[in-house]
Amino acid sequence: METPHNLSLPQSTAIAEIKDAAVHIKNLNYSFGRGDLCKQVLYDINLTLPRGQIVIMTGPSGSGKTTLLTLIGALRSAQEGSLRVLNQEIVGLSNRQLVEVRRNIGFIFQAHNLFESLTAAQNVEMAVELTGEFATKRDQATAILTQVGLKDRVDYKPDALSGGQKQRVAIARALVNQPRLILADEPTAALDKKSGRDVVTLMQKLAKEQGKTILMVTHDNRILDVADRIINLVDGRLESDETLDTFVTTHDPKVLDRRMFIL
Amino acid sequence: MKRTPLALLNLLHERTRLVVAIAGVAFAVLLIFMNLGFQGALLASTTIMYDQIDADIFLVSPQSLEISSTKAFPRERLYQVAGIEGVARVMPLYMEYLLWRNPDTRLSRAMFVFAINPQDPVFKMPELQTADAIAALQRPNTVFIDRRSRSEFGPQTTGLETEADRRRVTIGGQYTLGGGFAADGTLIMSDQNFRRFFAPRPLSLISMGLVQLVPGTNADQVVATMRTRLPPDVRVLTKADMIASDRQFWQENTAIGFIFGLGVAVSFIVGIVIVYQILYTDIRDHLREYATLKAMGYGSRYLFQIVLQESIILAILGYIPGLLISVALYDLTFRATQLPIAMNPGRILSVLLLTIFMCSVSGLVSVRRAVTADPADVF
Ligand SMILES: Nc1ncnc2c1ncn2[C@@H]1O[C@H](COP(=O)(O)OP(=O)(O)OP(=O)(O)O)[C@@H](O)[C@H]1O
Ligand SMILES: [Mg+2]
Repeated sequence: METPHNLSLPQSTAIAEIKDAAVHIKNLNYSFGRGDLCKQVLYDINLTLPRGQIVIMTGPSGSGKTTLLTLIGALRSAQEGSLRVLNQEIVGLSNRQLVEVRRNIGFIFQAHNLFESLTAAQNVEMAVELTGEFATKRDQATAILTQVGLKDRVDYKPDALSGGQKQRVAIARALVNQPRLILADEPTAALDKKSGRDVVTLMQKLAKEQGKTILMVTHDNRILDVADRIINLVDGRLESDETLDTFVTTHDPKVLDRRMFIL
Repeated sequence: MKRTPLALLNLLHERTRLVVAIAGVAFAVLLIFMNLGFQGALLASTTIMYDQIDADIFLVSPQSLEISSTKAFPRERLYQVAGIEGVARVMPLYMEYLLWRNPDTRLSRAMFVFAINPQDPVFKMPELQTADAIAALQRPNTVFIDRRSRSEFGPQTTGLETEADRRRVTIGGQYTLGGGFAADGTLIMSDQNFRRFFAPRPLSLISMGLVQLVPGTNADQVVATMRTRLPPDVRVLTKADMIASDRQFWQENTAIGFIFGLGVAVSFIVGIVIVYQILYTDIRDHLREYATLKAMGYGSRYLFQIVLQESIILAILGYIPGLLISVALYDLTFRATQLPIAMNPGRILSVLLLTIFMCSVSGLVSVRRAVTADPADVF
């Protein structure tokens, strides 16, 4: 069924590992619109995200990062190629089935999208209610809010929280059901330098502790160091796929300078 | 622990909007209640006069429309049925309009007149039963006046003199009846006075024939017998049929039933529009959050429920003040117009259901927007 051959993986990978991967994409194409207005935005994407990896996706504006993220998150349905998320093929699924897939994914958005009418705890509880665990929802919400450092803010409404705190509530909401895959689209864009940093470190810590896979889109160079791997999307194609070290060596101007100096 | 009451919390969060929504629903509820109230009062007012007429069977001309627009027919018909078994008493009733001058303002206005033989117990009002009252009625140019006549007719003190159709007339006493929509005010006078006021109309032409039965007699049987004995220039009806016939006239042959029906429909639509506006704005403002819920794994059905719950909460929160204000306005209307306008349990329940239905329709119209919220657009 699966072919071990995959161009975009940096190292050769065993079949077993691919089968167990959080995300496995093969020959994925995606276009918006139909007929004359049809506009292709993703071209032949091949990508495998193993368990527990923190992957940052960068690329110019309009290159298709958000589109790819929404496809992986089952928020859009892909028509072509193969897209396995948490061991389930989602190309060709019905809307209802897509909703089921989403329950296993944590989403963190650029905007926090919290209900202003609900307290921090209630916003998080809304996620717990999806699992039907009504009896423990309050405890679960308090526990995760404590983990993100908002123990004394559980009963505050978003109005009374800072931008960074709101984003942390959103993270708590995304993580409370222990999703195995977390998708984040510029989660730090609305935050200042320090809160942005805090939010990302927090995500890294929680992911490492619980072995989660994170795919995060960001334009923020200051947070690249949390990544195990950085992929670069240009004009709908995966241009490069490297570990953090190679990325820093090839992209850091000082390193480049030194190399030239040596030469 | 239960589900987070998102619908309620969303509504409570926007206080101003909630107040506007409640006021809107209350307004629609009020309009519906007033329309139903007036319609009910109209129908009740056609019966209220019959309630006070002590007769079991009514004879009317086939050309009569309802109590205030009757066509006279020969008194002879009444005597023709007087001998039928079970009939205890037959009584003629004369009805006409009279221009009554308000002695204070000297302005004249049409007053509805009942005329009876003072010896006949046509009316049940206790004020007319005393020997003094019967004697007063027998005096020339003396009338009894309805306390529920509109205040424009002027004072109602016994002994007061004024002018009616260019004749002197004296108030001999008062009674409580109410003319409903048909009459702004009513008078009762003797048949002899009726002849004086409405000459040349002869007393041999009556407006209604009233029949009292021996207690325990089957009215339907007597009616059937009377129909066989009488020529077709007269209709014979039981009291219940007479009332139903008048109601039917008002509802079907006048614009009134239609107007109030339309009034209810318009109020209903006003309510739908107001609630729709509120729900739509609410959904628009929460679209990102709703889309996020969908991204989290909530289905369209949940959003559907939220919007429907919001609309039902609005329905109930708006209904309560609407009902209370309506009760107060009914009271005010009754005092201002003497119309028998009153709240009844059936109406309370049916308007509540109508309000919930109204808000649900708005909910269903606006829910599309929430359900189509695309989680892919939130990123
Ligand atoms: N709903 C849509 N309908 C049609 N075209 C779309 C839609 N959403 C995005 N596009 C187009 O698809 C391309 C990729 O968009 P996408 O949002 O994925 O880019 P991005 O890499 O996330 O950009 P940015 O860094 O600015 O967020 C763009 O050219 C965009 O105009
Ligand atoms: Mg984007």
